[in-house]
Amino acid sequence: MITSKSGFNTLVRSSPYLMMALLVLPVIGGLIAVVLPAFGWFPVLGHTQFNINGFVDLWQTPGIGNMALLSVSTSFISTLLAFVITILILASYFTSPWLGYIQRLLGPILVIPHAAAAIAIGFLITPSGMFSRLVSPWLSGWDTPPDWLFPHDAFGLSIILGLTLKELPFLLLMALGVLAQPELGHTLRAQHRVALSLGYCPMTAFFKVVLPSLYPFLRLPILAVLAYASASVEIPLILGPNSPPTLAVAIMQWFHDVDLSLRIKASAGAIVQIALTLMLLLSWWLAEKLIKKFCQSMLVNGKREYAGAIIQNITHLITVMMLTVIGLALLGMVLWSFAGFWAYPDLLPKTFVTQHWQSALQQMHTPLLDTLLIGGCATGLAIVLTLLTLEAEQHTNKTVSRLSSVIIYLPLLIPSIAFLFGLVWVLEQINSYHTFINVVLAHLLFVLPYVFLSLASSFRRLDPRFSYVAASLGASQAKIFWQIKLPMLLAPIFIAAALGLAISFSQYLPTLLAGGGRINTITTEAVSLANGASRRTSAVYALVQMLLPALGFLLAWALPKMLLTHRE
Amino acid sequence: MQKHEQISAANSNTSSLVIEQLTIQRQQQVLLSLNETIAGGDILTIMGPSGSGKSTLLNWLTGMLPKGFSAKGNLYLNGQSITDTASHMRRIGLLYQDPLLFPHLTVSGNISFAMPASAKTQRQADISQALSQVGLAGLEHRSPQSLSGGQQARVALLRVLLSQPKAILLDEPFSKLDSQLRQETRQLVFEQIRQHKLPAIMVTHDQSDADAAQGKIISLF
Repeated sequence: MITSKSGFNTLVRSSPYLMMALLVLPVIGGLIAVVLPAFGWFPVLGHTQFNINGFVDLWQTPGIGNMALLSVSTSFISTLLAFVITILILASYFTSPWLGYIQRLLGPILVIPHAAAAIAIGFLITPSGMFSRLVSPWLSGWDTPPDWLFPHDAFGLSIILGLTLKELPFLLLMALGVLAQPELGHTLRAQHRVALSLGYCPMTAFFKVVLPSLYPFLRLPILAVLAYASASVEIPLILGPNSPPTLAVAIMQWFHDVDLSLRIKASAGAIVQIALTLMLLLSWWLAEKLIKKFCQSMLVNGKREYAGAIIQNITHLITVMMLTVIGLALLGMVLWSFAGFWAYPDLLPKTFVTQHWQSALQQMHTPLLDTLLIGGCATGLAIVLTLLTLEAEQHTNKTVSRLSSVIIYLPLLIPSIAFLFGLVWVLEQINSYHTFINVVLAHLLFVLPYVFLSLASSFRRLDPRFSYVAASLGASQAKIFWQIKLPMLLAPIFIAAALGLAISFSQYLPTLLAGGGRINTITTEAVSLANGASRRTSAVYALVQMLLPALGFLLAWALPKMLLTHRE
Repeated sequence: MQKHEQISAANSNTSSLVIEQLTIQRQQQVLLSLNETIAGGDILTIMGPSGSGKSTLLNWLTGMLPKGFSAKGNLYLNGQSITDTASHMRRIGLLYQDPLLFPHLTVSGNISFAMPASAKTQRQADISQALSQVGLAGLEHRSPQSLSGGQQARVALLRVLLSQPKAILLDEPFSKLDSQLRQETRQLVFEQIRQHKLPAIMVTHDQSDADAAQGKIISLF
């Protein structure tokens, strides 16, 4: 489209560059500010010579092998479990209405912050948690809480449980999103029917016909989940062992140590963390190639029925168990937040009180306000930048290049523990007094990719003929943007805003680091309360953490409807 | 060839598809009623505008009737009732207007997928022979996307036939082919159905398809 030179058009044309800069510079700057100290260059302490002392220190840290092993094993096993269960659910309910019900039940789990999910699961499996109460004393004979180490077991089983339950809804919704694409979904279902008519049992038909075409669409989400899990902090912090913790948690503790010289070791650790994450991604890719090579001949061997019925029953069992775990964890948290006196083997508290809510709500006044302010600023910025960038796309008639689309997701693919510390150091050099702005900028790194992901498809799908008609009626680009496109995109913009807010609300590490401990949000408070303080207060914080994004999505769903009916 | 003759010989006496007193309803409203017997090698043509229940009939025949529909009546294949048999146990082959070849498998992989489990070398030989019979010799290892529309349609036909179905359903099978190709493919499909003595039902809204089938024509409204 030929456009004129106006203030609006110049702004639109320059916004993609601004957006790229806001994403690339912090990540690259952060990485450099970690790589340099890792190799010994740390002028603050007078180290200006390159060496590998940091890595030697790291190597000599007691338990370093266990830390790395714990990171690798928990992330790989949880991703594998989430993937396998996703596939089993898809295969078992491919033609059944249950797929839709499961989607609706699991969907909300997606917006629960990792910290809140970890707290809820911790409540479930702790010695005096819902699980042990449920089987006591009638089955287990326990009159006092059992002596087990959950949720801080040394093998990371609790971490695996937490990560799996958080990753599963994401992968499942991604897969269902692929199946919901009109053309592709229709073809895959038709091919499944063809396989049935050729005598294949539904389960085998799914594995031999649908899965090979579906998997390529799931690869990127799986790798993203794996990368995230390998370096995540919240879940291992709340559900993991303390000595040694996972590598990411250890790095965080070293960075936070008052002894500044530990920063060199921490930086070296961050480099090792990136290497571990890359190695995990590579292993997944290799495993995928091997399985493909090994199974290729099975696809055409003509066998129509393996153990379909058994697998189906196992899937029913897993699904029911999973939904029960989630339900019990949530129920437990609600009960704790209202619990008065609650003796051990009792399933329910003796009394219910609202005092935990009252006192917690009074305490959380400031964190709540900060959470909302930071979320609002980061999300607002992200929405404006995304809309202008997408508008620029239509002015220049080409979608963002392949490189740019990788850059948009850069902050999600690179372990945040590896670049956030460097970023904070860079930010401190530039402006150390405006921590609020620093936190907003740090949040923007994670909010922007999701907002872009959520808005891009609706914006690109808008029928271009509306703009052509408006332009032929004499409307300027700016007028078309404000009066045609934005009102038509009202609903997707609200959804993107709710998603952006949910992402911002859930950020732990960026808030903690960029805020320098001076800015607290509901999430940082919830995490610091999780491993100490009163279980009742902790439950209130975790519930507020869940309620905030839920409220956001509710508003995003209701507001456009209300605004539109008003007009009529 | 020898193998195909054996199959036809086995089927020739008894093969038939019987639709007995079928009524399909949607929300208490009768959509269609049918009572038909189709002998092996015969093609029953069902015609009618869209929405007349043609695809609903096919869904019932394959055991994939969607929610909201209810059906009364019986379905017999070669004398056995398959009214309540699971979709994948019915041995009724389906040919759609789209070839729906599996993109992750080669041409021979697609056909091999359909064949009963047996020795690999024997299956490969059968596939090569079948491909050359329909003028596709040497295309075993091509990917389905690299074939022309007419070639894809022929591979889809072979895939159904080599799965050794006991009856065959054609869902507007030629509507995506241009007229020259349409005639050739139609002739090939009908020839193969008669040669294998399979009872067949074809759903179409094209009169020339119906005429070429040379069987009974039922119009739904």
